[in-house]
Amino acid sequence: MPPGYPKVYPKGKPRRMSLDAVADFFYFGFRNLRKQLSIAVLDMGAVAVLWLLMNYVIIRFSTGQIGYTLVPWWIFGVGVVEAAALWESFGRSFGHRVERLELRRTDGREPTLKQRVLYWLLWHVSVLPLFPLLLVPSPHERGSGLELRPFTMEGRVPRPWWRTSTGIYVAWLMGAALTAAISVTISWEDLVRLFTRAGTTAKFWRSFFSPDTSIILKTIRELVVTVFMAMTATSFAVLVAVPLSFLAARNLMRGVVGRFIYTVIRVTMSIIRSIEPVVWAIFFLVWVGAKLAPFAGVLALFVHSVSDLTKLYAERLESIDPGLIEAIAATGANRLQILRYAVIPQIVNPYISFTLYRWDINIRMATVVGMVGGGGIGQALFFYLTGNLWKQAGTVMLFIIALVWGIDYLSAKLRAKLA
Amino acid sequence: MAEPYLVVEHLTKVYERGHVVALKDVSFEVQKGEFLVIIGLSGSGKSTLLRCINRLIEPTKGRIFIDGVEITKLSPRQMRKFRRKIGMIFQHFNLIKRATVMTNVLTGRLGYNPTWRTLLGLFPRSDRELALKNLERVGLLEKAYVRADELSGGQQQRVGIARALMQQPELLLADEPVSALDPATSHSVMQYIEQMNREDGVTVLASLHFLSLARRYGTRIIALRDGELVFDGLPEEIDDRKFKEIYGEEAEEVEVR
Ligand SMILES: Nc1ncnc2c1ncn2[C@@H]1O[C@H](COP(=O)(O)OP(=O)(O)O)[C@@H](O)[C@H]1O
Ligand SMILES: [Mg+2]
Repeated sequence: MPPGYPKVYPKGKPRRMSLDAVADFFYFGFRNLRKQLSIAVLDMGAVAVLWLLMNYVIIRFSTGQIGYTLVPWWIFGVGVVEAAALWESFGRSFGHRVERLELRRTDGREPTLKQRVLYWLLWHVSVLPLFPLLLVPSPHERGSGLELRPFTMEGRVPRPWWRTSTGIYVAWLMGAALTAAISVTISWEDLVRLFTRAGTTAKFWRSFFSPDTSIILKTIRELVVTVFMAMTATSFAVLVAVPLSFLAARNLMRGVVGRFIYTVIRVTMSIIRSIEPVVWAIFFLVWVGAKLAPFAGVLALFVHSVSDLTKLYAERLESIDPGLIEAIAATGANRLQILRYAVIPQIVNPYISFTLYRWDINIRMATVVGMVGGGGIGQALFFYLTGNLWKQAGTVMLFIIALVWGIDYLSAKLRAKLA
Repeated sequence: MAEPYLVVEHLTKVYERGHVVALKDVSFEVQKGEFLVIIGLSGSGKSTLLRCINRLIEPTKGRIFIDGVEITKLSPRQMRKFRRKIGMIFQHFNLIKRATVMTNVLTGRLGYNPTWRTLLGLFPRSDRELALKNLERVGLLEKAYVRADELSGGQQQRVGIARALMQQPELLLADEPVSALDPATSHSVMQYIEQMNREDGVTVLASLHFLSLARRYGTRIIALRDGELVFDGLPEEIDDRKFKEIYGEEAEEVEVR
């Protein structure tokens, strides 16, 4: 749109017929259509969501069934449309707020009740069949002498959020959603069982205090395998993540090509990271076969670590002090020298620290990954648990606790030294 | 008069981000051996001007000649070579914090040594000797193997000076070298810069915050206001009226002793 082009269709006589006038007609027509549709869709959506949730909660609590509406669907449809129409005609609706528009008379004053009723009636004529909206102003605006104008906050006393309709609506929605969420996941019987059946875990607890000494050697071997899995995965992940991090640092990747590479890497990494290592483990188990169990686990940890480390490293690179780069560049140093004397000194310790942190995570993750068949101590634990071998499971868990605690302590100590 | 050492012609810098015009058509000349002080409020373009002179920032328009060479025409590679002759010190010192003072000083020789050797941290014996000599000059010989971030602000700036000395520069750019220091330390640092100017014949361009410091050390002063050159003359030519022109009506002069 050229600068200075009016935002609303010029008032007064229509311009004389010309190509410009036709262009104006469609330009403002579509603008108006978009505005009206956006408001209507937002309001109908908001009403529908609230209605469905409310019904869901009522049905769930009264009958225990899952259902979404107490009335036939066609009544629901008409109800939603009607509610949206009323909301938009007689108040400031959700859609109005999103678009930052409000209903006013063309002279800027508050609409009268009669105008609002007219607006509401004509709303059905112009918003529902959509097409007349290409007329500017729309029939319901023209017929009632009202128009949608940008918000003015002048002379309005601000209300606390719980007194605004949006505030009440959002609070209602959140309350209803939470109620629904709780009702789906927890039943009364569950709560009862939580307390009445606590005794059944006794054998579980007892097993902690009577370890099966005969499996200690085997457990230690599995433990070592788990630590090795974490080490292998972390080491290879570092090799890949360090170079990637330079390509994923916004301040180093300038220009169109640079930004493209940056974006591709960042997006890929966040997708990989959002998939849990357990899922990766299953994926790789299928790929490389169950016989090579630790290998699949290592691959799973590796993939997840690469994405995590790349992000951590790159963020560190993004926050390096550009002053030192300037200072080294000012001596006549070239790119490699700048990297060696201005960039690397600022990132070595954080990188090592992140790597230790990730290794620590990987050891815990290796246990979890093992439970789906990824090898190591987790697999052993899973085997004992599913076989109701409580004594052995307890022994394994004791070892896991000791290991995780030890590694945690060690890596925290080392990282404190690096800081 | 001799051929000027530094010539800045119609220098303009526009930052794309925010469309800031940091320098507007700035022109001036500097003779060899001068101690030129640049004054102006913060945001007036002092740092931008200094960084254009060694092309840490690319000028938008205008030409810069140093010693007869049009440096605004040099290729990046040629410019890197040329930078060896231009030392620079900074308001926040910009040292490698985790490295020793010695390593920091040696980085001043990066441009003179082959890349592969410097990547391994190897510097020739002559460079190490020069480093010790320069550290002795700034009174920090006994700190040579201390980590840079263990030094006080004044000491860190002296390391910065030693690093610049390693380049055996003809020109020194100093961007508010003492703004982060207290008044007493400021003078000690300024005296080392003055010594470089007097004894080694290094031409100095320094931006300073305080007019009193500018008067005390500068042989000539230029003033920037909103990117424009508003004064170019001798220190004693800045009277009350000029002062208000540079710093604005409400400004009061403060002394730093
Ligand atoms: N990298 C940058 N991007 C955009 N604007 C900048 C940048 N650096 C400095 N500026 C702007 O340029 C002007 C001059 O800044 P500067 O040269 O740092 O002034 P001084 O050193 O005198 O304080 C200021 O308005 C500042 O905001
Ligand atoms: Mg500055």
